[in-house]
Amino acid sequence: MVAVASPRFGQRPASPATLAELEKLTERLARKPAAHLLVDGLSIGYSTLRGRFHAVEDVSFEVPAGTNLGLVGESGCGKSTVVKTLMGLQPEATQVSGRALLDGQNILGLDETALRDVRWKRMSLITQSAMNSLDPVYCIGDQISEAILAHEPVSKATAWARAEQMFALVGLPAGRLYEFPHMFSGGMRQRAVIAMALALNAGLLLADEPTTALDPIMQSQIMTRIRGIHAHLRCSMILVTHDIAVVAETCENIVVMYAGKVAESGPTAEVLESPLHPYTMGLKNAFPRLPERGAPRQPLISIPGVVPNLLLPPAGCRFASRCPFATEVCHRVTPPVVQVGAQRAACHHTDRAAEFRVAAARPETWRTMRGAV
Amino acid sequence: MSTRHAIDPSAPLVIEAQDLKTHFQGRSGILSALVGVKPPSARALDGVDLRIREREIVGLVGESGCGKSTLGMTLVRMYQPTDGQILYRGEDITKVEGRRLKAYRHSAQIIFQDPYSSLNPRLTIGQVIEEPLIIHGIGTAAERREKVIRALELVRIPAEGNIDRYPSDLSGGQRQRVAIARALVLEPKFIVADEPVSMLDVSIQASVLELLDELSRELGLAVLYISHDIATVGYICNHVAVMYLGRIVEEGRSEDVLMRPLHPYTQRLMDAIPRMTPGETPERIELRGDVPSPLAVPPGCRFSSRCPYATALCEAVEPALSDQAEAHRVRCHIYDDRAARAHPDLPAPRAGKITEVAETGALVAAAEDARWQS
Repeated sequence: MVAVASPRFGQRPASPATLAELEKLTERLARKPAAHLLVDGLSIGYSTLRGRFHAVEDVSFEVPAGTNLGLVGESGCGKSTVVKTLMGLQPEATQVSGRALLDGQNILGLDETALRDVRWKRMSLITQSAMNSLDPVYCIGDQISEAILAHEPVSKATAWARAEQMFALVGLPAGRLYEFPHMFSGGMRQRAVIAMALALNAGLLLADEPTTALDPIMQSQIMTRIRGIHAHLRCSMILVTHDIAVVAETCENIVVMYAGKVAESGPTAEVLESPLHPYTMGLKNAFPRLPERGAPRQPLISIPGVVPNLLLPPAGCRFASRCPFATEVCHRVTPPVVQVGAQRAACHHTDRAAEFRVAAARPETWRTMRGAV
Repeated sequence: MSTRHAIDPSAPLVIEAQDLKTHFQGRSGILSALVGVKPPSARALDGVDLRIREREIVGLVGESGCGKSTLGMTLVRMYQPTDGQILYRGEDITKVEGRRLKAYRHSAQIIFQDPYSSLNPRLTIGQVIEEPLIIHGIGTAAERREKVIRALELVRIPAEGNIDRYPSDLSGGQRQRVAIARALVLEPKFIVADEPVSMLDVSIQASVLELLDELSRELGLAVLYISHDIATVGYICNHVAVMYLGRIVEEGRSEDVLMRPLHPYTQRLMDAIPRMTPGETPERIELRGDVPSPLAVPPGCRFSSRCPYATALCEAVEPALSDQAEAHRVRCHIYDDRAARAHPDLPAPRAGKITEVAETGALVAAAEDARWQS
């Protein structure tokens, strides 16, 4: 008799032994609690021919167990570098200092053996480019089962059955596990990468721009999946993105990075409602929104100037050269981190934030800076 | 930069596409050659009508692979259309070749998505912008330099100190401005901007959009702005056209299309955009599946395979674009009963609330929904 589940490759149903083993594995994985992450004073630097380059400087944030954190900022602000370093994927000569405590254990500077226990099992990564993160010469099912087999003492058939479970979770038919990455569309590949990241039910999920370069319909599909899975598996998540609207919908907390430093952090609703840092205000006003019925249209305002060269970081506040509110002290002294309610901002003038917010909503405020190209 | 001014309907038409089609012929393999079967062609662009007037920016939106870029590239004749007509100021340029094609390209320019790969890294900014002038044999070296400086001024880059720099010295936003300057140096009347800001950071997107808006007013340019970021379209476009699988399914004034979308596809497209209201995830009706392949276009409505309202009529008969209030046009049987009257035997789709069937996950349209009546 010919199996009919997958006409292409003749998929067979799992044997009872496999099913029993799968059930045990699922149960074991389901008992994993959501992880808690505390990043404290993380600095990441590279030595280059032109001197030391600080990609990330003194970044601190916390991901309470079971919550989502949005890490936003422009390209080159260091958000992906933070995530890569947490996974231990930074280039060899990178200078890393500070602590990252995953459930109390510092995961920075672990050796390869110790890292194997952390990666996939306790923390997994959904990579930015699904096109490049899958191996073109292995079928998708083999790639997912490989990750499971590397970490769990189960049979190959069980690992495959687990991969089928994960495919169901992300809404892909199990028969397509036999297919190769080039046979998938961009959105399907991204879902396969998510399935892989979820395979061992890691307590902390790092999603690095999971929907960048996808069109809005695909983005909405993927984000709906991620949110659903998050609720279902009760894991914690760091979502790296430049799309603050996605963060507004998905994350309880937000960290806004600028030029390698944290500009502002706090609960998403408060940070986006009443930002303290002029950069957050600028980012919010620059973000295109759909027109709303009856509401007056807010103008779209760009932030003039460019991100400073991190090989020669300016003295004082890094945003000062683009900030319409910068005073003399901003150009001279590094701003302290000021706590206002649950929000924290690195700005000298947080006491004037209310006044800045009104001014920042007017295009003229930023236009005065337009001289700098 | 708020919602754009209304366009004068008597302003001269710059570009007009009539039933434009661009099909790509699949390559013939040994097997198909032996059997004598013609390989299928991909109907990337399949009957599109579009008009852009002076000083007007038309937005073109849709999912990846719906034919947006093919339309843009066909209009500037980078692709040879299979059928239909392109009129430039009333003149048919669909099939022009040689010198006349070169003359048309003088007046129709395109700006690409990626300012990192569209500028030659070995040429200075001045050379990059001058190149089209040399190709078209315009002016002496001194006159060309003057034109280059003027083009740089138009895109708000001071020529002094920048004209001899290389693209690698510039930021993404500045590079895209240089790409715009290169398009403007020939003083075109029509510009296709294919995702001009999607590679740029949010904080500088606005300035490039604003620049396009101002240039269109100052120079009387007709602009086709192609983007999958529907939110940006609302800021600079007078008119929006929504494409699906090689055809326009809805078009109208941008406020009307963005705020009161009629076509089920446009409604899903708008739904899919995240709103900036923290903590509120709206109830979304998720659109399932992918766009069908342009190699095998469904016979009826092209959206019927994914549309929750689709009936036998939709699967059999493709709806025509029908006129609704305020120059809003939509290609859907729900708003146009001509096909239903011609085929009384086929059940016609009716508007209604979409719900999800829990067991199967299928979407079905249920009874009337208030949203459709407003």
